[in-house]
Amino acid sequence: MAVAHSEEAHEAPAGPVPTVVRPWADPYLDPETYDPEGDLMVMNLGPQHPSTHGVFRVKLWLDGEVCVKAVPYPGYLHRGVEKLCEKLTYVQIPPIVDKNDYVSPYINELAVNMAFEQLNAVEVPRRSQYLRTLGAEMQRVGSHLLWLGTFAMDMGGALGGGASAFMHTFRERETILDCFELWTGARFHYNTLTVGGSRHDVPAGFAEMVRRTYETIRARTIEYDELIYDNAIFRSRTEGVGRVDAKLAMELGVSGPILRASGIDWDLRRDRPYAAYGELKINVPVRSAGDSLARYEVRMAEMRESIRLVLDLIDGIPEGPICALKPVKLPGAFKGKAGQAYVAVDGPRGELGTWVIADGTERAYRLKIRPPSYHAMALIPYLAPGSTLSDIIVTLGSLDPILGEVDR
Amino acid sequence: MAVDESGQAFHHPIYSFLEKMPGLSLGLTTADQLLTWGSSNSLFIFPMATSCCGIEFMAASSGRFDLDQIGSIPRGTPRQSDVMVIAGTITVKMAPRVKKLWDQMPEPKWAIAMGSCAISGDFYRDIYSVVPGVDTFMPIDVYVPGCPPNPDQLFAGLRRLQEKIRAKRNGEWTDPELRPDTPGLRSPNLPRIGDPRREASLDEAQLDAVMNLDPGGGMLRSGDKS
Repeated sequence: MAVAHSEEAHEAPAGPVPTVVRPWADPYLDPETYDPEGDLMVMNLGPQHPSTHGVFRVKLWLDGEVCVKAVPYPGYLHRGVEKLCEKLTYVQIPPIVDKNDYVSPYINELAVNMAFEQLNAVEVPRRSQYLRTLGAEMQRVGSHLLWLGTFAMDMGGALGGGASAFMHTFRERETILDCFELWTGARFHYNTLTVGGSRHDVPAGFAEMVRRTYETIRARTIEYDELIYDNAIFRSRTEGVGRVDAKLAMELGVSGPILRASGIDWDLRRDRPYAAYGELKINVPVRSAGDSLARYEVRMAEMRESIRLVLDLIDGIPEGPICALKPVKLPGAFKGKAGQAYVAVDGPRGELGTWVIADGTERAYRLKIRPPSYHAMALIPYLAPGSTLSDIIVTLGSLDPILGEVDR
Repeated sequence: MAVDESGQAFHHPIYSFLEKMPGLSLGLTTADQLLTWGSSNSLFIFPMATSCCGIEFMAASSGRFDLDQIGSIPRGTPRQSDVMVIAGTITVKMAPRVKKLWDQMPEPKWAIAMGSCAISGDFYRDIYSVVPGVDTFMPIDVYVPGCPPNPDQLFAGLRRLQEKIRAKRNGEWTDPELRPDTPGLRSPNLPRIGDPRREASLDEAQLDAVMNLDPGGGMLRSGDKS
């Protein structure tokens, strides 16, 4: 078997990371003030643009093909989820937050249910902790596969036809969705987690199906590297493009693969263990270059690590009950205690936090969601100026935003 | 003697209306039948994909479900597409953009509302920022229910649309689509397109919103909500 190519980090480009010029990031500052001579063209990227991964609008001021200033406008998918969660009961909230990050709904459910459990001091059984870890890692692979397909599609014809990598990754993603469909009955939007555990136990034959699926994907990750990473055009379009300074990333609250690609070794699964992660050994991939290629390397390494975790976990799930409480079906049947709880999990895009303030009724007083993509999108005013329009598309794709959780 | 190839293993729908001239490389049909065949079997889709249903739409266009097999491909421009598939929640901020793109599509054109958010707003319908159903501002031909609908349900919707196109071109009657009900709607309920209670001033107001999308002329100012 060939060696996986993106296991080794590429060398960081020579020279310092370009310093950030603050005026570019100020949305209210007229570009004429720092570029009076520029004959600028104003252009809207989005809201309906195939490369923005959803409905996202960036207003660009272009000097020729080079961007001078970029202002992102989120809010085209604002569905008022946090307001909606104030009028719904605890039982009704998990299927709503599923739709926030619709590429990894399992991890959304996990975050919100863990917050409710911390609030009410519910101890989750050990088997359910392992099942949650298994589901989260399975979901992470599916999410990264979707990112890989759309990221390669953003590159367009450079990779041997616009949609070839997309077709490859979606072939594997469908098999992951099949596993979830067997487990929970839905392709996504599972509503399988509840306060105190899970609703669905794994069915018969599930372990064999998961093992077969993920071993296939592990072999196929080498194919992806051969198709994408070894492609000289891909390398030249991503290397040094969209470089994120570690200091800037920390300032803006960026987390997840983007932070790890900038050289900061931080992963909540290892550093603040939740579910069954405390009993597992997790290798966290870190790159120092901070560019789009480094983010590709980090996500591919994470995908391999998640596949390894899934294959390790699937045989070692302990026996026992899957839910500490009796799963309720009536919306008002569960009453929470008064108080506050903040829980963060490490999703495919970074730290997904849920802060719940409760007043002791069956409804939460306030539910705040901290989406990782929202903080990643704050990078755009800093990354876009100075790069060409085609590089902005690559940068956007490498940030892997999900607009459902940016606007929520 | 007309060549009857309908009994062959590979039956192509073109032989259902094309008569081959014996001894010649020539087929005879009417222009109307040919146009009906062409317009119902090469529906280019403009994906108005905003949220979760957009992911299922991507799955439908990928390898396993293969939208190509019924002659449909996703086409990322309104100018060269026939069907707009509205996949996902449409917010008040997005609705004028959707209508503008819909108005840019050339006739003949059709629209499919995919998923319960596009149909009625679903559980977001009482939220201040969500449009309770896209048929409050543009006409919809086929509703595909689900949250999100599976790709095969989208295929069923496309099949239904093909049937409607064929029936309309042949002058046959099709049953109108059942309008989804929105019980318990608390937000201001706009009458849907085709509703007798709908006033012409509402159409004008919606068109006005489309034509004045960016009144500031490009520059963002303090307090500008844009």
